[in-house]
Amino acid sequence: MNRALASGPIVWLGIIVATCLLLVLFQTVLWLVMPVLLAVVAYYLMSPLVAAAMARGMTRARAVFIVTMLLTIILVGIGFTVAPRISSIAHNLPKRIIDYGGVGYQLVENAQKTLYTYFPFLHHQPAVATPASDGRNLGFVSSEVVPVPSAQATSDDLENQVAKWQAEYSGDIALELAHWIPSLLLVPYITYFFLLDGPRFKRFLVQAIPNAFFEKTLYLFYRVEDQVRRYFQGLLALTALDAICLGVGLWCLGLNAPFLLAVVAAVMAWLPYLGSIGGGLLVVLVAAHDFPGSHWLPYEVIGLFIGVRLLDDFVFMPLTVGRSLHMHPLVTVLMILLGGAVAGIAGLLLVMPVLGVVMVAGQIIGELVTDERILARYRHARRLKLERAQADLFTD
Amino acid sequence: MFFGVPNSNPRNPRLQLLKNVVLFKDLSMREIIMVDSLMHARSYVADEVIFDEGEEGQGLFLVLSGRVKITLPATAGNFLLELGPGAFFGEVALLDQSLRTAQARAVEDTQIVVLFRAEFYSLLETHSAIASRISFQLARVLAARLRQTVINASKHHHA
Repeated sequence: MNRALASGPIVWLGIIVATCLLLVLFQTVLWLVMPVLLAVVAYYLMSPLVAAAMARGMTRARAVFIVTMLLTIILVGIGFTVAPRISSIAHNLPKRIIDYGGVGYQLVENAQKTLYTYFPFLHHQPAVATPASDGRNLGFVSSEVVPVPSAQATSDDLENQVAKWQAEYSGDIALELAHWIPSLLLVPYITYFFLLDGPRFKRFLVQAIPNAFFEKTLYLFYRVEDQVRRYFQGLLALTALDAICLGVGLWCLGLNAPFLLAVVAAVMAWLPYLGSIGGGLLVVLVAAHDFPGSHWLPYEVIGLFIGVRLLDDFVFMPLTVGRSLHMHPLVTVLMILLGGAVAGIAGLLLVMPVLGVVMVAGQIIGELVTDERILARYRHARRLKLERAQADLFTD
Repeated sequence: MFFGVPNSNPRNPRLQLLKNVVLFKDLSMREIIMVDSLMHARSYVADEVIFDEGEEGQGLFLVLSGRVKITLPATAGNFLLELGPGAFFGEVALLDQSLRTAQARAVEDTQIVVLFRAEFYSLLETHSAIASRISFQLARVLAARLRQTVINASKHHHA
């Protein structure tokens, strides 16, 4: 569309309200939204493969069947490889939480010691004016060191907390898993039908559009699909670039399973802000846990993380996802915060793709409903049909 | 399937009509069925506007039944031509996003199929042989129209 889209403040208000409402709705049916979302990602990942197979003379049905079988085999393969590991992690989760919690505490303690070594003045508490017994301020400055609980005491506390947490929530977690696993098994099934019937379903929807709005609505479909495709393809490219950079860096630092850790951290980064912090924390804790003797390794990992994040923000992001949404950075940040406030973690995860789609739809719908000529044509066609329908109803 | 399956029987009159359209004359029936699966069917009542001059064109329109008149509203409803079954119009929109240069209106109840530009581009990627044969025929049609315009302009100049 060459002309600038007519999106005034009312349209933008509508876009923001619609995005928030959708996020709230999606949060309530997250068990359904997640497999559909993953199927959409798989659809955009696999549709070039289907197109390539069709270009070699295959029918759509056969191309889709082969590509979906391929996806299923890969997912089953990953499942069989990863399931024993996940089961072992889940089995040892309380022990691991205690281990990593202890390592985290040790890391903070080591960092504190290192700081005190290099900056001895930090060893003292900040100056605090101590009031006299009669309430007058004498200006006496305390330089007492606040006692820090021992690592053993913290570990015991953590163990008690984890045991309590386990007793309280293990049933809920099992129930939640029983709820989620079947819905995630739907992903290849939904992807299959997206690939097979996507174009036909689109034509079916377009049939319902009145003639006056037809061409612009077709363009809306194209724009929305293009937006979603570019967003998810960009996100996948960004994840791959992040994982490669981080994996190579962790491998150079000598960590165990560097690429697995890098992929987990890159996927966690799909959650804006919190995901990156969580991913970084995970890798730092693993480094500190696996190499307890190396005091500098966690700091090297933190440095690597910051480097990759900078690369991500200033080089990869503008080349991949940023280019797909054409959104002002301030709007992006505000909408992420709003998404988090409205729908929590699900809101943080979903706000950008939802906003991207609602933005395009809102701009074009705004243009359609403010185009007097198109509305007049619509009314004219309705009148013509009505006149015909009632032509022989009235007799003189 | 609840949203319908296209009729891919080669004896289907719609496919027979598409086979006779100049743009698709180099395609086999199997390829016609493939192109047909990309098209959107529309019905217009007599006197309904199909598109206006100045709108952004998104696709090519092909008349299956009925008649369509092409006019230039800028010159007060000046009649340009009338098209019947098998004829197509708005073909420049397949090539770029330019504005429509005339108005199209149904003269009588008309059935039309529309090939959307984005779907034609996807055909170029997935079935480049089919799309290139359509493009070649389209280029020939446009060249013939250009030649006719030049001849008309030349006659007008000499007169």
